[in-house]
Amino acid sequence: MSPRLKISNYVIERLSNIDTNESTGCLYGLMYDGTLLVVGLSLELFENEKNTYRQLLLNLPAEIELCGVVRFGESFTTGTTMKEILQDVDVTDNPLVMIVNEKKEMKAHFLVHDKFEETKYEVLSSDDMWKQFLHVRLNTILPLSCEATISGVKNVLQNKRKKIASGQVSFHVDGTSVYLFGVASDVGLTGTSTEATIGELVDSMSPEQPKKKKHNTNVIEIVPINLVLKTTKDILSDKLVKTAVKMMTTQRKPAFCISMPLRIDTLAMIHRNTKLLELYTVLVEAACRSLRLLESVLLEQLGQEGIGDGAGLRLPESFHFLPQELGHFVTRVVPKGIPDESMEKERRLMHEQLGIVQTRPVFRRGNAYSDKSGGRLVNPHEAITPQPLKPDVTIALVRGRYTYHHYMQDNFNDDGWGCAYRSMQTIFSWFRYQGYTTVAIPSHRDIQQCLVNIGDKQPSFLGSKQWIGSTEVMFCLETLLGVQSRIIFANTGAELQGYAHDLVHHFQTHGSPIMIGGGVLAHTILGVEYNSATNDIRYLILDPHYTGPEDLSTVVSKGWCGWKNSDFWNKTAHYNLCLPQTKPAI
Amino acid sequence: MVRTVYSPEYCLQYLEQYASKEIFVIGLILGQTTSARENVIHLARTPDEKSSENASETSYPLDKPESKTLVSVSEAWVADHAKHVTRMLPGGLFVQGIFITSDEDIFEDPNCFSKVKSIINNIYKAMSANQYMYGNCPYTNERLILHMSTSTKVLTCKSIEVGVGSKNTVIKPVEWKFLPKAQQWQRLDCYYEFDDVYPVVVKKSGISVKQQFQQILESAHKTIETSIMFIDGELKDNTEVLELLFKKKKSKNNSKTTQQELPKSMNVSLFVPFENALPEAVEYLECDGSIHFSGVVSSSVFMFPKATVSETIAAVKQDIIRSLASRFTMHCDALIDDNLLPEEKVCFNEPPRRVLVPVGSLYLCDYLFPGEAPAEALLSVRELLDLQITEADVVCDVETPADTSEFDALDRDTSSEELLATPQEASQFMYITGICFAMFVLIVSIIIHYYDSIVEVFSKIIAKS
Repeated sequence: MSPRLKISNYVIERLSNIDTNESTGCLYGLMYDGTLLVVGLSLELFENEKNTYRQLLLNLPAEIELCGVVRFGESFTTGTTMKEILQDVDVTDNPLVMIVNEKKEMKAHFLVHDKFEETKYEVLSSDDMWKQFLHVRLNTILPLSCEATISGVKNVLQNKRKKIASGQVSFHVDGTSVYLFGVASDVGLTGTSTEATIGELVDSMSPEQPKKKKHNTNVIEIVPINLVLKTTKDILSDKLVKTAVKMMTTQRKPAFCISMPLRIDTLAMIHRNTKLLELYTVLVEAACRSLRLLESVLLEQLGQEGIGDGAGLRLPESFHFLPQELGHFVTRVVPKGIPDESMEKERRLMHEQLGIVQTRPVFRRGNAYSDKSGGRLVNPHEAITPQPLKPDVTIALVRGRYTYHHYMQDNFNDDGWGCAYRSMQTIFSWFRYQGYTTVAIPSHRDIQQCLVNIGDKQPSFLGSKQWIGSTEVMFCLETLLGVQSRIIFANTGAELQGYAHDLVHHFQTHGSPIMIGGGVLAHTILGVEYNSATNDIRYLILDPHYTGPEDLSTVVSKGWCGWKNSDFWNKTAHYNLCLPQTKPAI
Repeated sequence: MVRTVYSPEYCLQYLEQYASKEIFVIGLILGQTTSARENVIHLARTPDEKSSENASETSYPLDKPESKTLVSVSEAWVADHAKHVTRMLPGGLFVQGIFITSDEDIFEDPNCFSKVKSIINNIYKAMSANQYMYGNCPYTNERLILHMSTSTKVLTCKSIEVGVGSKNTVIKPVEWKFLPKAQQWQRLDCYYEFDDVYPVVVKKSGISVKQQFQQILESAHKTIETSIMFIDGELKDNTEVLELLFKKKKSKNNSKTTQQELPKSMNVSLFVPFENALPEAVEYLECDGSIHFSGVVSSSVFMFPKATVSETIAAVKQDIIRSLASRFTMHCDALIDDNLLPEEKVCFNEPPRRVLVPVGSLYLCDYLFPGEAPAEALLSVRELLDLQITEADVVCDVETPADTSEFDALDRDTSSEELLATPQEASQFMYITGICFAMFVLIVSIIIHYYDSIVEVFSKIIAKS
């Protein structure tokens, strides 16, 4: 029997927006409870001879496997590529073939006994997907030491994979007493009931009421897991070899050796109802997938001119990305210390493969998904209950992540003078999160130093409590980030009204937060709502004058982050807006 | 509260046996300190100094052993005894102090007492030399001094503090109690496995076995200290009492058995988190050798049943490290040349393996070098523990000696990388010759098979012409 089919909303959206010359793509999905859920897709690039989907699979969370093919066009016209891809589908006996015609109409077919049977499918909304699925993140360090040759690295990593698959390793869910064991042990897990599911464990870990959780639908749950190695043998085991410890030393031809801590940082996507007992094999697969990905990066480096003997080899580092349009994680491994700028080719290929726009960075280090924000609130505006969509109303918002910077943070008292500095920091954080830069967020003093350095301010400005305005913000962005800004000058608050289109256009094309200052206090604008019928404008404001603790509900309920009508602006004061511009980049 | 020590009754007879002969004897008190109770497991007389035999040949021909007194005892000799005995102790057991049978009152006679102090401090110092031996009991700095007067047969026990400098030593009274019934012990077993391969720089000078072992010991210590221990497959709360772990289990399974019988042994497993403090960089070295350290350390510790889980975990960890350190020390002491690989391509080092020897109601251990018979263990038990056991008592199968054929296999394994290229070429050649040979056989067999018809055809052709 062919499985039931669900397709993630993200995949549907991407398929209907995709604009490609390629005829074939690959579909990736996971099986749960007799259902195939399609979560991702990639394009088979004609000019790329490598089996791109095989390589790309290593970048996806474990459990997500190749599940079928998508054809762009009217008919099946089974080409050889398609046949080859379909043969590689292991996750189900009935590979999926989707046809997307020029009108973007989609049909799904299962291949049953060499025949295509059209099948119905259910679209899984993104909210439902994040509610039903969660990720486990395995983190561990394997010491790696071997000869600095391609075969040396291959061998040692193969041995590591064997060891991990041998059942000797165990996994520990961080912060719990839950351990998962492999076949080398007589029990599968300890610390909880054998019937427990991962969802139940997660719920028991967070003391919050389940009600509160349902509110934040977009919260992605990641369960941290680490790996432990059993170093003792079971006494009752039949295979027990009791040879006493001994040491063998071998001398051989001198050869260059490398040793490094190989950090495994890998994800798996699983349904909340997955039993903890079943998690073991998932984690083994995740670890092996990660090792293969790390291997490919090491081998690529070893194959390069100049570092063939390993002297210039760099530590591979894993980064997880969750591009908004994809709706699934992509893990990339990059050599430590190699600047993002010199790896554009690889990123471009990935953009092409995944059909992501090539105008802004998605896979730079700065874009990496992280739940660490230094204690600061990330995107507090997302907690505001959205207004129902109305006709004639255009809403344009900041695109991507930023952190909320406000008074009194970092144990630094800037109450009364630091608002523009904080607004600038929020803008800076946006450029970091969008991958445009890896430069650290400047402190007040850094900003002052920058302005002194470029001659805008006298040295006495350093350490002072003087205000800065939009132009200073523009200077700093230009100097520190190379970002150019557009300055809008409004003589009165009322005149601001006239710039509604400019603001909508800014958020739609650049998406960066806007700093607004002038005669009065500085604020950050995160979005605009423009009603073309009534000419009403509302502004989504992030207020840097907040002095309280990092508490999302206070920030939102008290309006420190919220929608303001145009009477928010002082009718008589003049205003300067700094609109940071982005350049197309990958 | 006065410190109380519990001892098996045979220790009393042991002391009386020497005291009644009115001879001076000094020895070590072996035991276990837990928060629940302090137990002595054995008293072991320090053997007579061998160097005195040498001395007797030269200057003191009339010196007889009986004339030995406390003041003439060599502190270093007793400390050496303590070092050797510690090797035989499983984790959780320590040299807790010394006993003396003599006719002086060693606590009152200032000469005697300063000697006693000096011996105790010497042992402490000698034990501190190698931290991986866990010679000094980490739970207390107070060492026991047990004295039986040969004249009055009165038994006195006191304690003094060590490692605090030579200010006024505080002497505390200790209550020494004999248990009429043998103490029950909870045994815990595990096999700790090593299997590490790492590259080394040999250069021309070779590498020191001692240094190599020291490095292995250090890294093993680090690893084992960070490891998590399970008892009978479960993670236990540190404060739980061993005995109760078992009772709980039992009551769950079958409530009928009210009798609190301890299990023969509990299984211990250790799990090592991979995460450790490695430098966040790629190290790059030109190496011309590799070391493969492999095999098991069998561990059997014996705990007072009321000991806590955390005390037990500490004992198991001590045991593995102490055993490793003991083997390495013994191996290196026996080495003629510390240098690995001065000329040879492959070099094996087989430290002695562990065997168990029964002492009272539990087991201590000894180490046998490759080729040594279990009888060797009898010697050390007699010498160091002052005990007579038979060869059959020695448990020899907790570990097996290394099989050198295993080494050969490993050797082939490691050198195979270099050989990889040649067999392929060779096999190609073999392949071609094989085919040629097969063809040849085929042709010959065809000829043989159709010999008659071929001959016929040929004869016809010849006849025609």
